Amino acid sequence: MRFTKSLCSAAISAALLFFLASTPASAAKRPRYGGTLRVELLTSTFSLDPREWKSSSLSAREDEKLASLVYDRLVTLDDYGRFQPALAIEWSHDAAAKNWQFKLRPNVKFSDGTPLTPADVVTALQSVLPTHLQLTAAENSLSIRSPHPIPDLLEQLASGPHFIFRALPDDTLLGTGPFYVAEIDAAAPYEANPLATKPARLKFRANEQSWAGRPFLDAIEVTLGEPPLRQLFDLQVGKADVVEVAPDLVRKARQDNLRVWSSAPNTLLALRFDDSQPASADDHLREALALSLDRDTMANVLLQKQAEPSAALLPNWLSGYAFLFESPMNLERAREIRSSLPANEAGGTEPLRLHVDAAGDLMKLLAERVAVNARQANLSVQLALHTASATGAAASVPSTNPPMGLHLFTWHYDSLSPRAELDALLKQLHLVPAPENSQPLIDPEQRFAEERRLLEERRVIPLVLLPEYVGIATPVRNWMPARWGEWRLADVWLEKGETAPSAPAGGASPDNSATPHGRGAHP
Amino acid sequence: MRRGNSSSAACYHPYLNAVLPRSETYRSRPSPFFLILFFLCFVFSPCAFPADSNSLDDSVRQLADRIAAIPNLHGPLRLEFHADANLAAGSTLQDTLRQELEKRRLSITDEPSALLLKIGVAETPTQVVLTASTRIGDRDDVRIVTMARAALSAPTLAVAPVRIARQLIYESSDRILDASALGNAAEGGLTVLLDRNADLFALRLDSAGIVKQTVSLAAANLRATRDPRGELTDRGATAEVVLPGKICEFTWAAGEEPKCRAKKPEARTPTVLTSPCDASNWKLEAKGDDWSSPDLLQIAPDSATRAGSTALFNEFPGPVLSINGELDPGSALIVARNLRTGNYEVYKITLLCGN
Repeated sequence: MRFTKSLCSAAISAALLFFLASTPASAAKRPRYGGTLRVELLTSTFSLDPREWKSSSLSAREDEKLASLVYDRLVTLDDYGRFQPALAIEWSHDAAAKNWQFKLRPNVKFSDGTPLTPADVVTALQSVLPTHLQLTAAENSLSIRSPHPIPDLLEQLASGPHFIFRALPDDTLLGTGPFYVAEIDAAAPYEANPLATKPARLKFRANEQSWAGRPFLDAIEVTLGEPPLRQLFDLQVGKADVVEVAPDLVRKARQDNLRVWSSAPNTLLALRFDDSQPASADDHLREALALSLDRDTMANVLLQKQAEPSAALLPNWLSGYAFLFESPMNLERAREIRSSLPANEAGGTEPLRLHVDAAGDLMKLLAERVAVNARQANLSVQLALHTASATGAAASVPSTNPPMGLHLFTWHYDSLSPRAELDALLKQLHLVPAPENSQPLIDPEQRFAEERRLLEERRVIPLVLLPEYVGIATPVRNWMPARWGEWRLADVWLEKGETAPSAPAGGASPDNSATPHGRGAHP
Repeated sequence: MRRGNSSSAACYHPYLNAVLPRSETYRSRPSPFFLILFFLCFVFSPCAFPADSNSLDDSVRQLADRIAAIPNLHGPLRLEFHADANLAAGSTLQDTLRQELEKRRLSITDEPSALLLKIGVAETPTQVVLTASTRIGDRDDVRIVTMARAALSAPTLAVAPVRIARQLIYESSDRILDASALGNAAEGGLTVLLDRNADLFALRLDSAGIVKQTVSLAAANLRATRDPRGELTDRGATAEVVLPGKICEFTWAAGEEPKCRAKKPEARTPTVLTSPCDASNWKLEAKGDDWSSPDLLQIAPDSATRAGSTALFNEFPGPVLSINGELDPGSALIVARNLRTGNYEVYKITLLCGN
């Protein structure tokens, strides 16, 4: 079976190559089929099961990148604001946008050759869409009904965990996407050097049956848990084609003439007050702290101009109105408010305890800057650093620890719907919506008013927005990711003859223990 | 009043949402169920939730209406614009807003003491968001109008330097693979080969760019590919499409299925234009090696006829995908993808004499 498959693929490649050779040389160079793209990621764990992802976490961001290789969505959004058909080829909704109909693409097959059915689509989407939506499968279509208008349904379906998959009885997930998972190697000690750990690796192979056509690449090899410096080094010496570049290394990468791409700022770093410390409930204390923060120094000095200060919960590229929110530093006013507060509130023996919810030097630096700024306003802030493994998820604080009044957290915008994103923020941070806003915030003016109310409450204080930075090797062609961070590797190809030699199989490596815990999607 | 977040049309159908004008002769048609639903959407919909504007100018007018309706707002106003870089270039937008506000008896001034009206224009993934904010009393009053980004029309592209005349003659959101001048030159039209949702079609357009006829090439029974290719040659009454390993021929008038047969593909000869000045030959070549960046079309003298001349270059807003100069020695049709708009465009390149 495998032999027949490869014979078939060779024949197709030969036919394509033949046509390539016969195309006139006058137009631009056509894409080249073949090659393996080597990708390195910082995350050491992964899950290809969208049902398991923690909404808006940094780990979900990485998982989504890997999942988009294996699964398709009903629709996609192009760079020009146009929804494009994917597994759905037609769609329509009623005037109230409560009832939606999707006609499914015929003859789509999963990577194991079995056909995609409307029931598969319903089962997959039901597990990731809000429970109040009613999904029904028909012969070749799907309907989605909602008690409220959902004019932004397409934005939701084109982003986040809204992939179409089939769960097999052993919990393996199948996809219809451009690649399938061929190999998963868990992190393990090197034979030659048991003290060092060989990182986890995932190998994706081209899905010859993909409804959109075979991807240009033969395979994508993903190495997980590579530290930022190592990734940059691997890109420089030709051991990797696509790497993540940490914000503090962007300048160095550019100085070294490496090709660096940046997304729109899609991760928010912000402070969240927690009522477990009584001082957090004091509006004046929250106001004093907010006024003491120097976001410009955080973005321009600590993050070397690779981030932007933010006074809004949603970035301007998602909401369009974020520029209206301002939160200038005003130390004088902060001190004035502080002087009116009890001396023991965020002071004396009762400092405000700041927990850093995510790992990394960058988070630590920012937390320290918050403490320094607070001190300038005579507020005492004590740090408690992230203790869990580097998953990007918030760590739970052991009950023996003193209560934390403040958290520094990250929020990755994973939906293309600003309404869905604001709702998710409210839900996850246990913020209470205004009574008049119990219905979905479809109207942008209502959404603006709700965001303004939340910011004025100061239970969440935005600090900076970070883009994603990606280093790309010279042979990589057609690198055309979406500005919100979707990589689109199915359309990437490698220029012949520019691929650097593969990395050596073993030997010394920085310690990067990696543990795949997700369920793979095998053909 | 039209505002809100409705970036999508009430119905999407690949035939109904393309930039192209529709033809009456599609081979495949949408299912009756969707046609009925489409009909119901448009006929019985008193628009229960706010809809987007149709154009940027419409949106600016709506914003002006909404600003003028802010209680207790009196001019003169001082405008402060916050626009995304690619929208900021459109200074006409600022001028239009000034004019629209003045029409509504709100005068505009540069006086620093005047009431500040902040105007934002931002592109989100699906919308263009126009925002106005001003402070009345102790509260900011904010008005927001949105339009679908997909409705933004492409700005007129600059025409190339004098020696080469470049004219954008057709564009489509569907992937154009090749274009050919109509065999019947008197008609002055165009034929294009395009990939729409993984199906190939040949379109015949009149001189105004209106689709007169569409022929599906489903008979070629091609395998789906991310790099669809094909070459179209229009011979007047008939047309020929060369596809990977196949050649399809059809008659425009007959409306019959194209006849396809296996054939070893032959390379189209490189396009050579003849100068009207001295009959020298100039070869057209695109040098791009990546579809993610703009391309340069090189028009190089053929050394045999014009030694010593330097090449001319013409920059395109994206990769050049096809060059076809088979029917006319003085001009060629170039298909390129505009990376700014995402549309596929057909240009006519003509070599001119002198300045």
